[in-house]
Amino acid sequence: MAKKRVALELGMGTSLRNQDYTKAAIRAVSDALWHNSLNMADAFGFDKSAMIVDVEVATQKPEQVDTDKVAEIFPYGQITVKSVFGGLDIPKRTTPGDQDKHSAHTIVANAAIIVSFDIEKQDRTSGAGE
Amino acid sequence: MKRLILEMGTGNDLYGQDYTKAACRAVQDAIHHSSLTLFRSLALDHAAMEVHVTIGVQNPDAVDSEVVAAELPRGNAHVQIVKGGLDVHDEEAGTISVIANAAIEAFYDIPDGEWVLSPQHP
Repeated sequence: MAKKRVALELGMGTSLRNQDYTKAAIRAVSDALWHNSLNMADAFGFDKSAMIVDVEVATQKPEQVDTDKVAEIFPYGQITVKSVFGGLDIPKRTTPGDQDKHSAHTIVANAAIIVSFDIEKQDRTSGAGE
Repeated sequence: MKRLILEMGTGNDLYGQDYTKAACRAVQDAIHHSSLTLFRSLALDHAAMEVHVTIGVQNPDAVDSEVVAAELPRGNAHVQIVKGGLDVHDEEAGTISVIANAAIEAFYDIPDGEWVLSPQHP
């Protein structure tokens, strides 16, 4: 068996008003998914369920991301969601020199979706395989 | 030839009314939301990839398709310009903000049965 990466999709999402890290993560994944239409399963003649989808979402509070909810938006494939530290939180400043500790932030999440298949090359084009 | 992916993007030129610049930005937006990693992982040849670019703008004649084709880093690019996108008119200022759409299709010859799923382990 050989897990081969066939595509990488990238996106960004935000939560502007209520510091919802899961929502920002879902928007980042949606941005990544809906900029592209992948035809690779069809091109190789595989079922879409054979797609192995490894998702990484990066925010400043990875423990607040509900990875099950992020996984729910995928229509098919074997989905794994990992929440890691990254993204960006921007304090809601009202003036440029404002150095106060702010409780309110604008949340930016990054998403990377790695699509793989567990495949191997047939040595003989006429070979029957395993 | 089989289609591997359709990439979609949007770009604009807000002040210059440059339809070619908006189209190039739409292409950059489209190609930078994904990466066709199978060329490396399966040792495929980029040069054998066919790339079809469709640009939608309100003034197709104003787009230089050779400049747009030069934005594509790999493969053999064909560019088609159609009427689409959006022009946002500001009557008071007498200006137009130009919005372009780009659709990029990548095709590659994958012979049937050349790649198979690995046998499932129990």
